[in-house]
Amino acid sequence: MDFNDPEEEEFGFSRNYFLAKELGSSGKKSARKLSDINVVDEQELRAAAATIEPKHQKDIEALINSYKSLYPKWVFELRCGFGLLMYGFGSKKPLIEDFASTALTEYSVVVINGYLQSINIKQVIIGLAEILWEQLKLKRRIPSGNLPKVQQPFSSRSMDDLLAFLDGPEMEENDSFICIIVHNIDGPGLRDPETQQYLAQLASCSHIRVVASIDHVNAPLLWDKKMVHTQFNWYWYHVPTFAPYKVEGLFFPMILAHGSSNQSAKTAAIVLQSLTPNAQSVFRILAEHQLSHPDDEGMAIDNLYSVSRERFLVSSQVTLNAHLTEFKDHELVKTRRHPDGQDCLYIPLATEALQKLLSEIG
Amino acid sequence: MASSLDDASPPSIDAVTENNLQPFFVLQKGSLRKSERKSSGTGKTRRRIDLSPALPKNSENPEDEKEDENMNLRMEAFEFVWSKIKSTIKDVLRDINTSVFSEIQSWVHQTFDTIRSLGTPDFLEATQSFPVITDANSRKLFTGLVLTKNMEFVDDLMTFDALGKHLKSQGCHVANLSSLDFIAKNGIGGCLRSLLRQFLKSTLDPADISILASWYGEENYKNPVVVIVDDIERCCGSVLSDFILMLSEWVVKIPVILIMGVATTLDTQRNILPSNALQRLCPFEFTLGTPAERMDAVVEAVLVKPCSGFSIGHKVAVFMRNYFVSQDGTLTSFIRALKVLEIGRYGLSPEVMWKHVFNLPSCQRVKMTKQTNESLAHAFSELKRLQNQWRAVVLCLYVTGKGEKVRLLDLFCEAIDPESYNKREFATCTKLEKDSILSPSSRQRPSLAKGRVIFEAIHLVRDLSTGQLGKLLKIWKNLTVGIPEINDKVKELQSLLKIEDGKSSKKDLIITPKRHASRIQLDNEKDSKSLSDKAANLLECMVRDYMQPIECIPFHEIFCFKNVDKLQLALIGDPRRRIQVDLLEFQKLLHCSCCISGSNALLPSMHDTSIMYKLAQEHGDLINLHDWYQSFKSVVLRPSSSKRKSRQSPLPKKRKDINETENQSEASTQARFCRAVTELQITGLLRMPTKRRPDFAQRVAFGL
Repeated sequence: MDFNDPEEEEFGFSRNYFLAKELGSSGKKSARKLSDINVVDEQELRAAAATIEPKHQKDIEALINSYKSLYPKWVFELRCGFGLLMYGFGSKKPLIEDFASTALTEYSVVVINGYLQSINIKQVIIGLAEILWEQLKLKRRIPSGNLPKVQQPFSSRSMDDLLAFLDGPEMEENDSFICIIVHNIDGPGLRDPETQQYLAQLASCSHIRVVASIDHVNAPLLWDKKMVHTQFNWYWYHVPTFAPYKVEGLFFPMILAHGSSNQSAKTAAIVLQSLTPNAQSVFRILAEHQLSHPDDEGMAIDNLYSVSRERFLVSSQVTLNAHLTEFKDHELVKTRRHPDGQDCLYIPLATEALQKLLSEIG
Repeated sequence: MASSLDDASPPSIDAVTENNLQPFFVLQKGSLRKSERKSSGTGKTRRRIDLSPALPKNSENPEDEKEDENMNLRMEAFEFVWSKIKSTIKDVLRDINTSVFSEIQSWVHQTFDTIRSLGTPDFLEATQSFPVITDANSRKLFTGLVLTKNMEFVDDLMTFDALGKHLKSQGCHVANLSSLDFIAKNGIGGCLRSLLRQFLKSTLDPADISILASWYGEENYKNPVVVIVDDIERCCGSVLSDFILMLSEWVVKIPVILIMGVATTLDTQRNILPSNALQRLCPFEFTLGTPAERMDAVVEAVLVKPCSGFSIGHKVAVFMRNYFVSQDGTLTSFIRALKVLEIGRYGLSPEVMWKHVFNLPSCQRVKMTKQTNESLAHAFSELKRLQNQWRAVVLCLYVTGKGEKVRLLDLFCEAIDPESYNKREFATCTKLEKDSILSPSSRQRPSLAKGRVIFEAIHLVRDLSTGQLGKLLKIWKNLTVGIPEINDKVKELQSLLKIEDGKSSKKDLIITPKRHASRIQLDNEKDSKSLSDKAANLLECMVRDYMQPIECIPFHEIFCFKNVDKLQLALIGDPRRRIQVDLLEFQKLLHCSCCISGSNALLPSMHDTSIMYKLAQEHGDLINLHDWYQSFKSVVLRPSSSKRKSRQSPLPKKRKDINETENQSEASTQARFCRAVTELQITGLLRMPTKRRPDFAQRVAFGL
């Protein structure tokens, strides 16, 4: 980074952005659809994903091994009170856990999997307090000798108390700490500001050291200067591994499996098959109307009612409404306002997906 | 003890995958410290139990033990030096704040007396669990507004912490609250709980101010209660105003004095607080030193004066300066940078250092003939001597320019620049030749190639009056005490000044006819002018001859940290840029043989995500997923030259087989595409398609 010219850099950013915008809107924008790809069955896709042949396996291994020479340095920096923050492309989970289990054998190590969707930070802190308690008891040799008695179990104490316990006075042997590994400290389960505040407070405790990894390019935006400089006290390490994000990517939808028209048509079919034949037929009327009037806003409710009634599918507006509620609950049908003020019903599926669906339920 | 350690058994593969889905898990319990193990008699057997078989490392290995010992020694050394630096910095900052702190302290005690003079609650009143009902006048809350003059509240955390400690040592009850205690979610309960925890050392639910009142009434009624809020601009206004209203109701029972930090202007509280809360405040104002002043004091104490036998190279200094001035702006981060530097020093094993001591580039430059211990010792003492000279000159320059906003940090960066020093040397050589020819007036031009700040300081001397010059020379004399070469010259100037002084005072005594007066005055001015010129020349000469930057001295590598990249990497991770570079130039990191580095062509052997990201660069802000997929497919399925040959004769018999493999490869290509998209999503470089635009993904980063 060129520190002498931050303005130039900023200018570059915005220029690039507008260039990209221009490129996007210069008429070259492709109108092709995702559904044009002949997507294989989801199961097949998942099976294929599980057996992707790794590339550069040896090189990646060599790269990860090359970081081993840094382990003593990392330990030293942890002992000096820094937190280690690992970033760079590739999963750093194996690397960090290997570091902990080879170089931090003297210390207790707790791992937080930040890539998971929800993490209860209080549970984590309770767990840490219990480990520290055990450790202090061991260190003193005389159980609960000089230590204050636990008045209440850790699980019923407040967050502040727990943090105060972890931030206890230093031992005579002052580097007895618990190391916390936070995989993806920028992950979905930890991303909210409150959790980050707790993590920062945790990191500043005297008995705690943190080794964390980030993957998101904007992760530093999670922290203010107080957190970065006085609490986390990060020592940055750029350690790209190019290892696949196996666990980290587990909870991300596969772009070709979910959300595509294929998929929603399939779920729609499943829902429809569980409904009564009459309900299915009402849906069919709506679908056929939509296919024959592709440019319309949708089908007016009155229109649908009269057609359904003609075919003896519904006896009253009430029954039709019952069907419609069912459809709407499963997002099979939506309403929108016609220019002339009428509410119209439509099926939020592309034409080809709708045809497929009709053939499936028919 | 061993039994509890046993459960750190090697995790099986199942356990690992299960662990991956746990929000958190214990990877290992801490085993005994190695040193302890050694001392205990049964260490050997226990060690076998402790170490899980997955660890090939065996601490019986003598090399390992040596390494451990080495590490511990380094740790000790680091802690020794760092604690020294830390306490130096602390002292410096305390000195800067002393006057404000004592001002605040005396105000606190005065205010306390004022509150007491309004009357103390009698026994009955004091034991009631509601506030004493009084007139509005005695419901005033005395408030000290401390203007920090600093948008970076991080630096002031230390200051307010120190203020709290200072007041505590003077017998006050102090609680430090931060903006985190004033958040809307917790309401007033949050700050009350924090107060109770700090005063009563316990947490009680529900938090109630009457508890605080009874605590104060019981034992602590002789001392003022001080509540410090470090930055009111970051507090939630409504909670803060509730807090103020509550405290003011109780002020007779609990004589609370509020101290609030304000970053911008002293009337900020008017924007934050409603009028009913404002009415209760009775504000007094205090002002802290500016961040730049604090910075200069720290630089002087740690980098210029000998503090830890530690110095930094020019590039590092410039980086730190720029980082402070234009990027981060906090002293805290500057101190952190110092710590990183300090750690860097202990990264090198001393043995390696000593082995190569005569091969250091700075040593090779001077071509030392004898490589003995004596010559080394001599070189070190020489280094020390030159450093002392350098230090004295820098401080002289600093005191000269101090009043005129010459920043020590800037001065330091210039003074430590080896390049401009070398140029300077060159410049003076040529200048001497020129001087003999040119008129003396040309001397006043800056002879320094780069030293803007240095030149400014020298220039300042020329404009000094006799009195000011005398004061300055006195300081110079004190600063150069250990360096006779400079000290003598300063003394010489001082005596000249004295003579001059004597002359002028004599002249003043002589009653002169009016018409001569102006001329004499002119003469006087001229004399003092020539004197200050002399002083300026002396300073210039000092800069030229005695201010040798450490990087120009042999063996400086041992004491001087020069690796600016390392510092920068440790201090500022730049994930946005670096992660993109990882993807775009992955060959540089993997050093693989299959992907030719330097060529822009996309090869099927490249990392999938890398191919995808490179392809994405060709799109605008929106990427059509279909197109992206097709181009990805064409890259990864592009047959390499060897495969093409075999394909030239497809056998019709195997039609079905081919179909199947094609199908399979389609599935695997799609899976790879999906994985690459997911990985880009994890890095935040890609936003997924929305419902409105189901066929387009969005690019997030444009340019590095």
